[in-house]
Amino acid sequence: MASLAPWLGLALLLLVALGIIFTGLPAAIVLISVASIGAAIGVAIDAIPFTLLSALPGRLVNLFENDLLQALPLYVLMGLLLDRLPVAEALYKTCLAVLPRGPSAQLGSGMGLGALLGPMNGSVGASVLGLSRVVAPRLAAHGVAEPMRAALVAVASTLGVVIPPSLVLILLGDAMLNAHTIAVTSTGRTDRVINTQDVFHGALAPAGLFLVLSLVVAWLVGRRLPPTKEAPDDRPTRAQVVLAIISVVFLLVLLGGVAIGVFYAVEAAAMGAFVLFAGGLLSGRLRRTIMREVLGQAMATTGALFALLIAATTLTLTLRLLGTDKLVADWVTAVPGGDLAIVAVVLATIGLSAFVLDAFEIIFVVVPIMIPPLLIRVADARWVAVLVLLTLQTSFLLPPFGYALMMVRGTLRYAGSLAALVRALLPFLLAQWLVLATVLIFPQLAHVGEKEADRSRVAPPVSSDEINKRLNDMLTPLPDFEPPK
Amino acid sequence: MARLIGGLDRLIAAILEVGQWLLLPVVALLFLQWPLREIVQHFSREANDLGQWLFALYVAMAFTAATRAHTHLAADAVARHYAERTREWLWRLGVLIGLVPWALFVAIAGAKLIIPSVLAREAFADTYNPGYFIIKLALWVLAGLILAQSIVDIFRPRGSH
Repeated sequence: MASLAPWLGLALLLLVALGIIFTGLPAAIVLISVASIGAAIGVAIDAIPFTLLSALPGRLVNLFENDLLQALPLYVLMGLLLDRLPVAEALYKTCLAVLPRGPSAQLGSGMGLGALLGPMNGSVGASVLGLSRVVAPRLAAHGVAEPMRAALVAVASTLGVVIPPSLVLILLGDAMLNAHTIAVTSTGRTDRVINTQDVFHGALAPAGLFLVLSLVVAWLVGRRLPPTKEAPDDRPTRAQVVLAIISVVFLLVLLGGVAIGVFYAVEAAAMGAFVLFAGGLLSGRLRRTIMREVLGQAMATTGALFALLIAATTLTLTLRLLGTDKLVADWVTAVPGGDLAIVAVVLATIGLSAFVLDAFEIIFVVVPIMIPPLLIRVADARWVAVLVLLTLQTSFLLPPFGYALMMVRGTLRYAGSLAALVRALLPFLLAQWLVLATVLIFPQLAHVGEKEADRSRVAPPVSSDEINKRLNDMLTPLPDFEPPK
Repeated sequence: MARLIGGLDRLIAAILEVGQWLLLPVVALLFLQWPLREIVQHFSREANDLGQWLFALYVAMAFTAATRAHTHLAADAVARHYAERTREWLWRLGVLIGLVPWALFVAIAGAKLIIPSVLAREAFADTYNPGYFIIKLALWVLAGLILAQSIVDIFRPRGSH
């Protein structure tokens, strides 16, 4: 019976997908329930020694003391404050004033606002709220059809995923660091282990490319719309222009500071949250009742994200104890062909899981299982990280469960058909897939501006038996496992 | 029973109401890290350690805050067509077979980690700053609040979710 344990893990993954789709329960509760059931069966069939389950509390404490995860509530707070403060409106109107008049300007400004807000508020949900409030009504006033409005808000909201220093980017950076550490240690390679900063730098050129393509698509779509008169409230006031300029300069300082390593991403997030909070207090917009409301929402949203982390930690521990990760590693290492083939297979798997899991669930559940064996075969961790990031961005937009789509449909009270929304979304998705394919074929795009000394080394050949042995040694926690301090 | 559940519900609400304010010192401490490290060149590690245990307590409470505010990520494309009673029943079942045994296990298995740390007032290993035991203690805060909220959710009168 115990030899079937790795397959039990695969059945658990299937159960997770079915549970999320058919129960409507929070993904975190489904993950925890399935993990608990799997662990109980594993103990019952002697596949998991009960004492090994005691590794769970230690792993949860590791989450509590993870420096990077401190960015999570900071980004959530920034997003909520941006929604309360007039920054988004000032940026949007100033963007409109700069662009040539016409329907294309409305769409282009919406996309530009997504690019500016995304890195500041870090989360797609917060961007959806901000853009739905500021951009969508104006697009409606300018005759943009409901499906296109929803598509534009959804796409613009995901720009923050690839433009640093976003929350998804930070969390993926951390997951990639862990995966790369396992890969480097198990192969005995001497590569410098990838960090969040590497993922930031690697994502810059592809993110820029996608932004340009999205603006082109928005411009082309706008050209087909009938011209409308400028709405009177579209002209920015002087105060709004000043606020927009200050916001852009501040954003560039934060981005630049993180890019050149003057401060860490968490510190940049703290600066953003602190400045917005201080701005809210000084402007009188953040009175005690609103502050209480914002803090309550920040805690509830942070809790939703952290619950996923906790649940995924529980599930991945169960899968590891069942040996499912080794089964997956065997499959990944057995994929025929070169780097391109194996990366394409893994990305396709992540893409498929995106139909039922959102980006956070993928980072916490799928990446720790799929990416370590991939990085054992493929040495270019930065390239892999950027490709995973672009796949995650797609996952936010894939119907029917893409998080950005679900949020937009709820926030805008979208009454149109899903088919119409998908048709409106298609040009942007094609642009996104074009960028993904370009990075897949030209890995150099993930290395723009990288120093030669920082490049990953070519993986020396290691036999699959040796890899399996080393993975075995690394992945099974000791009975008296305790987090290192 | 209803009074007991009501009291527990109010107690959880009061704890979370206080806990939500912890975010402000976390923001301030993490913001201060950079000037303390680069300009003052002192106390940056202290700010980091203090921020770390405040963060641990904050996120330990945040799980339950998300449960109460219904902000957990869920895909309800199919389940939205279910009757309200079915959804309520599914929720209670999820809490009963998922959260309750999990929280009990974490609380009991975590004792071996938490009790010695609290008794020794464990400090941060690399800086010797006090308070590291609070990070471990946060595990009990997490499990305790999840258990308390689960009791409220399971025994709450029907239709009041």
